[in-house]
Amino acid sequence: SIDMLMSSEKEVDPDVIPEDSSLLTLRIRKKALERREETIIVDRACRQETLTYEMESHATGKRPDDPTDLIEEGELLLTLNIFYPVIFQKHKDHKPYQTVLVLGSQKLTELRDSISCVSDLQIGGEFSSQPDQAPEHISKDLYKSAFFYFEGIFYNDKRYPECRDLSRTIIEWSESHDRGYENLQSAKMEDYVFNDLSLKIGFPYLYCHQGNCEHIIIITDIRLIHHDDCLDRNLYPLLVKKHWLCTRKCFVCKMYTARWVTNRDSLAPEDPCFFCDVCFRMLHYDAEGNKLGEFLAYPYVDPGIFN
Amino acid sequence: MSAVPGLKEDCEELLGAFQQADTVRFERFAELWRGRRFYTVFYGRIRALERNKLTKKTLDLAQQYFLPPYSFQIRVGALYLLYGLYNAQLCQPKQKIRIALKDWPEIQKFQQDLLDSQHYDAVYIFRRLRLARAFHFTAMPKLLTYRTKKKIEENYFKEEFKDPSNRVNSLITNDVLEELMNIHDHYQKMKCVISADKSQPDKALSLIKDDFVVNLKDITLEHQEWQQNRMKLFQNAKVTPETENKKKEEALLESEGSERANALARIKYKSYSAVVEVSKSRRHRQVQLESSESGSSCGKSPSRSKKTRTPQPARRRGEMQVAQETVTRHIGMPVITEEDSDE
Repeated sequence: SIDMLMSSEKEVDPDVIPEDSSLLTLRIRKKALERREETIIVDRACRQETLTYEMESHATGKRPDDPTDLIEEGELLLTLNIFYPVIFQKHKDHKPYQTVLVLGSQKLTELRDSISCVSDLQIGGEFSSQPDQAPEHISKDLYKSAFFYFEGIFYNDKRYPECRDLSRTIIEWSESHDRGYENLQSAKMEDYVFNDLSLKIGFPYLYCHQGNCEHIIIITDIRLIHHDDCLDRNLYPLLVKKHWLCTRKCFVCKMYTARWVTNRDSLAPEDPCFFCDVCFRMLHYDAEGNKLGEFLAYPYVDPGIFN
Repeated sequence: MSAVPGLKEDCEELLGAFQQADTVRFERFAELWRGRRFYTVFYGRIRALERNKLTKKTLDLAQQYFLPPYSFQIRVGALYLLYGLYNAQLCQPKQKIRIALKDWPEIQKFQQDLLDSQHYDAVYIFRRLRLARAFHFTAMPKLLTYRTKKKIEENYFKEEFKDPSNRVNSLITNDVLEELMNIHDHYQKMKCVISADKSQPDKALSLIKDDFVVNLKDITLEHQEWQQNRMKLFQNAKVTPETENKKKEEALLESEGSERANALARIKYKSYSAVVEVSKSRRHRQVQLESSESGSSCGKSPSRSKKTRTPQPARRRGEMQVAQETVTRHIGMPVITEEDSDE
């Protein structure tokens, strides 16, 4: 029985490493702990760590209110890593990614809807003359096409009439000359669920939207659903890990996240320069709302907006 | 994933001690575990996130010992180790043990072996783990992470834990020999049929040695014996004099390609306390209590011993005798050997 393996004393504190341990692991750990105690002033979880832990574990054990949403036994759970499209120098060794859990019986379109990318929120257009009329349309609404590429097949999102087949260009290109790619095919994203696909674990696939925003997708794990997992179908695809990106703050107040970016601004010290809404208006427009100085202003969406 | 420092050494030390103890009883393992206070391996002020990762790595490390090519005893030790670690962990909800799909049939076979050799405590432990939903059934054994490796770690197996890789035996198994025998017989019969004299083949047709199957078997047996002797020399195990004598007396070992069977036999010899009495219904046959070596095959179900009986006529080795057990207790399940008087 288990009691044979556990300690006999009840008051053992798991935080304290026993003095005379015969285990090498503990001796090493003790030294590391002692070193930490000497060097760290306050030893508690920073907010990134809390966030990571919370995200990993917030959904464990959840059960749905509606029994029809309960996930059945035998359902597959895939873990996907979706990498961010930006390439910064500091990300050379570890490219930031988000981790999403997805059910085998979910459609590809559900995954597509759950991927939050900052380029979806961009607002196109130059609005220095009419800052109050920055339109509400974000790029996500305007350019709805997207595709996934798995194992030689492009799955295009064809739910809306304005979605175009972005993969057609690629297929035509590969067929035009004998470039050594086997025939690439095109299919509709909404017709397929993950169980239909044959996938390789660890192999990079592609998700492309907005015409040129590309994300690499890697599947890291496939397993059967477990009693301790979240069994509410509505919560999937579930985000369990997200990379924390620092938001750019306004140049003036250094407090609020930047909402505007200006180019060729005679009033700004650098090009491009970021402003929060309040500082932007205060600097560039007078009390009547007339434009002061010469500049081009664009609404800015910071990548850290999903923090 | 970077390894937990010191953990591998600790696990190997514990498993090594268990192997030295030369038994598969859980009580023994529990003594060793308690002696080292292994449950404290998760202690130390570790915060929740770090603790999850640490526990995952620990279970992953222990799980590696649970699968082939490790020897039977090590695998049972690994099962107990997994049980202990799973229950000693401090994470809430508990981290699970990952088993890959490709390994699952192996594990089921392992469980069946345990059942057949009546190591009920090990089976019980395994059932407890299953009931506690301790397993994740995954596609791949290791969860992928992407970090540039600072140095490539070579995962080396401790040599002593591994079974001697008995390639010869795995190639020339009982099945193969049986088939060879059948084909050989068929061939002989065909030769008889087409030759003038119906009772024996023409001299002109004798192109192969008649007893080549037997020779093949003899050679593989020799190889196996040689390998075992080498292992014995290699290990500085405390071989008791009586086991040595028994080995010398041994003439025939079933060449069924399971070195595991030999280890099983050795273990069973020592772990007599747990073996059940032989059913009385068997007594009416001429039961010879064989020594643990050749009784190794009786660790399997009786149907298997039936299969080994058919090639027996081919084995013209007269030395099918097996040394009588000096110990009067029931050691293993007796094998009903047939005198191979017929050809």
